Amino acid sequence: MKGTNLGEFEELIVLIVGVLYPDAYGLSIRNAVIKQSNRNVAIGAVHSALSRLEEKGFLTPRLDNATNKRGGRRKKLFTITQAGQQAVEINRNLRNSLWDKIPDIAWKSLSYEFIR
Amino acid sequence: MNSLGNEKEFKPPRLADRFLHWFCKPALVETIQGDLYEQYQIERARSGKFKSNLNYFIHIINFLRPFAIKRTGQNSNQSIMLKHYFTFAFRNLLKHKQDTSMNLLSLTIGIACFLFIFIYVKDELGYDKFHRNYQDIYRITIDFIDNNGTRIPDATTPPALAPALLNEFPDIAEATRVFPMWGGSYLLGTSDNKKFKEKNILRVDPAFLQVFSFNLVEGDANSALNDNNNIIISSSMAKKYFGNKPALGESIILYRSENREFIVTGIMADVPYNSHFTFDFLMPITFNEIDENWGWYNFYTYVRLKEKTSISSIEPKLQPLYNTHADLDEGETPNIIYSQPMANIHLKSNLKWELGTNGDINNIYFFIALGIFVLIISFINYLNLTVAQAFKRAKEVGIRKVFGAQKNSIIAQLVVESTLVILVSLVLGTLLTELLFANFESLIGKSLSVFQPLHINFYLLMCGVTLFLGVIAGLLPALTMSSFNIANVVKGILNKTGKAALGMRKSLLIVQFTISAIMIIGTMTVYKQLQHFRNTDMGFSKDQVLIVPNNSSSNNKQNFKTAALQLPGVTSVGLSSGVVGGLNWTFTAGYPNPVLLNYSIIDPDYIEAMEFELLAGRNFSTEISADTIDYAIIVNEKALADLGQDISNVGNEFPLMEENDTLVMGTIVGVVKDFHFTSFKNEIKPFVFFYRADGHSNMTIKLSAIDLSASITELEKIWTKANPGIPFDYYFLDDSIAKLHLSEEKLSTILFDLTVLAIFIAFVGMFAMANLVIKDKIKEIAVRKVLGAEVKGLVHMITKNFMILVIIANMIAIPISYYIMKLWLNGFAYRIDLSIWIFIGSASITFVIAWFSVGFQSYKAAKRRLVESLIYE
Repeated sequence: MKGTNLGEFEELIVLIVGVLYPDAYGLSIRNAVIKQSNRNVAIGAVHSALSRLEEKGFLTPRLDNATNKRGGRRKKLFTITQAGQQAVEINRNLRNSLWDKIPDIAWKSLSYEFIR
Repeated sequence: MNSLGNEKEFKPPRLADRFLHWFCKPALVETIQGDLYEQYQIERARSGKFKSNLNYFIHIINFLRPFAIKRTGQNSNQSIMLKHYFTFAFRNLLKHKQDTSMNLLSLTIGIACFLFIFIYVKDELGYDKFHRNYQDIYRITIDFIDNNGTRIPDATTPPALAPALLNEFPDIAEATRVFPMWGGSYLLGTSDNKKFKEKNILRVDPAFLQVFSFNLVEGDANSALNDNNNIIISSSMAKKYFGNKPALGESIILYRSENREFIVTGIMADVPYNSHFTFDFLMPITFNEIDENWGWYNFYTYVRLKEKTSISSIEPKLQPLYNTHADLDEGETPNIIYSQPMANIHLKSNLKWELGTNGDINNIYFFIALGIFVLIISFINYLNLTVAQAFKRAKEVGIRKVFGAQKNSIIAQLVVESTLVILVSLVLGTLLTELLFANFESLIGKSLSVFQPLHINFYLLMCGVTLFLGVIAGLLPALTMSSFNIANVVKGILNKTGKAALGMRKSLLIVQFTISAIMIIGTMTVYKQLQHFRNTDMGFSKDQVLIVPNNSSSNNKQNFKTAALQLPGVTSVGLSSGVVGGLNWTFTAGYPNPVLLNYSIIDPDYIEAMEFELLAGRNFSTEISADTIDYAIIVNEKALADLGQDISNVGNEFPLMEENDTLVMGTIVGVVKDFHFTSFKNEIKPFVFFYRADGHSNMTIKLSAIDLSASITELEKIWTKANPGIPFDYYFLDDSIAKLHLSEEKLSTILFDLTVLAIFIAFVGMFAMANLVIKDKIKEIAVRKVLGAEVKGLVHMITKNFMILVIIANMIAIPISYYIMKLWLNGFAYRIDLSIWIFIGSASITFVIAWFSVGFQSYKAAKRRLVESLIYE
């Protein structure tokens, strides 16, 4: 089976799809990514990630009605699936548990070096 | 907002949309296009049409990702057809070996010539651009105005200029003076007695390192030249003097009557070859009281402007600044001061006393024209050949169509073939270019490569353009053919549609031969002009003359001279300050009309060694002490005339010049025949010789024809005995004279090679054309033979048509090349006439080539066995 884990960029997209609910589609997601994470991504990159996430079953698309703004074309709106929710939660838990396991001294030595 | 109040809609470029539809999965197209459309509206509202369109394209290209591209399975129609195209392309190319190899050859040669020329040209244009802020660096120069009002271009400036500029103009960030060796050399050495003669030494101000951005590998650029005993050396010099030991902080000794010690305070990366001046050593300028000296024209002045300032604010103020400082007499015309952008110096500046040998922008234009010519010829050829060959395959196309081939697939087939040929010739062309660069290294004086990082972008662009043109070349015949009427094609009735194409092919052949003829005429003219230069009597003898330069440091000149004269191979030894063909010092004299005179300080043997022809008077003599003082001079004819004197007046005193209101008298001791001491581009100028016992830095040794190398070995032995520790440096006068016309020499060689290639391509083109025409006529020829035609008449019938094309080509070429070459020759003061023979010669060459390419084939066709011809299909 192809990996069902989330890449860093994919995770970002899933979360943003959640944030933008119910109006998450290619362009709005791209704009949010640019605004939130300050990195310049191409529309193609976002679409590519969306199609991967759809394939993995983390997002589910539905077609919206056509608008004039898009030259009469429909847009594909995304919502997070249950599997998608699980995947981001697993990532979050993993991260949290790792954060908790870092001993304080690790941070201290860092700041010590910095001061010196 | 438009008048209706609705938000205005912008249409994105259609081509991009079509492209998207072409490659993108149909299921995804709608949403993707919707997003792009929306984005486009936003961008257009913000920025211009071009930028938005460009971004639209970029975004679409960004969709070329696996997820969006249409799946074409291994067994889908498209991929099977693609395989099929390639199989057939290979089969076809192999089947028509002759055509294929001709296509390949002419394209390869065209691409190689073009690449070669353009990388060379690009390299020439890239001089001095390695400096940061090279656009802000300028050289200030002063042209002299002599009393006749003639402007004498000159690169040198007085030492007071740089400080004055820095003082006067706040826009100038840094200014430096540069003082070269003026042809002299120093004996440098390390403390452990390694000694070398060095010429590439510059003396500069500390700001030199701030004006230019030569890289210091070691040492501090801000302080490396602050002390008088500092020296900066290049990395290769560091290796030469100190081997692998660290050189920084070591000492270098300058050997003179008093030895001076320098401390190495910087190691500099070797000066790149694309700098208009080069050096191995930098020392600080240590002359006293030069900051106020406006009369010593021995320094170069370079300035760097502050960023975002422009020279135009300074340029108009230069002349007033100079005028206030230069000590002008009443009514005297001041010299003209102006600035040159540094990046222009290499190609556009040709002043007296340039720091290095500069290129010539005219030659660059010439080369660009040639490169484009050859590329055009070879592409025309390719186009011509593919169109012609495509017609041969009309039947194949017909059959394909019968079996249901679409227009698209026929086009694709031909484009794939054409692209294959282009790709192969790109590879071959690149290899050939590299080969050319390797072969021409000594001629162009640098080693270039397609794959230098500097040129790689250009190369890739070139590849792209070539491929594009190749696809066009494939499309053109494909479009005509795919629209053939099947019924006619299968029956082989093609002549009607072929007529127009034949006309085009003929005119393309004319263009090819015109260009070839122009190039042949050009090559012949340049060659003849060079021959003219080589064969004309220079007014002195330049053969078997050895020059030993820079021997001012040796004290035993006379000893060496006496010893050298004992050798059987040495005829005479003369001493002089300058070398004929090199640069000369000048002074102003003449009464009542002062003129600028070149001069050289010599001893009497020099006139003999150089074999100047004495027209009147006598040579200097060691017996007559009056010869060595004041203005006892030997002049050339031009100087005699310019000074207002006559041959009859030789030996008498005459007023030479006015100095502080008193007349200074001079005596012309002798008159020598005019001699060429500069290139043929310049008129012979007045030249004056003085005789002094000292002040000679060059020795001229005339050798007899017997065993030159033995004589030189002997001379070296004597030299080492007379000047222990100083290397024996020498060169032949004829070599240095030949260098006067180095750029013409280059032009001639490159032109010759290109012409050969162009002729070859034209030959191939005509050969292939004749081949096709003859194949069409085989039956006709046979029928004519049956009816009693002779071979001679048949050959004549076929060649006649081609010869008419060549005649037309020559008629076009002759006036064009006459005009171009007339322009080129006008740059020479001493030039050949464009004789009718050059044109006749070039016309005959084109005829011979055409005849060889057509005549031989038509003879073969006419001699064919009749039966074979008649059943020929």
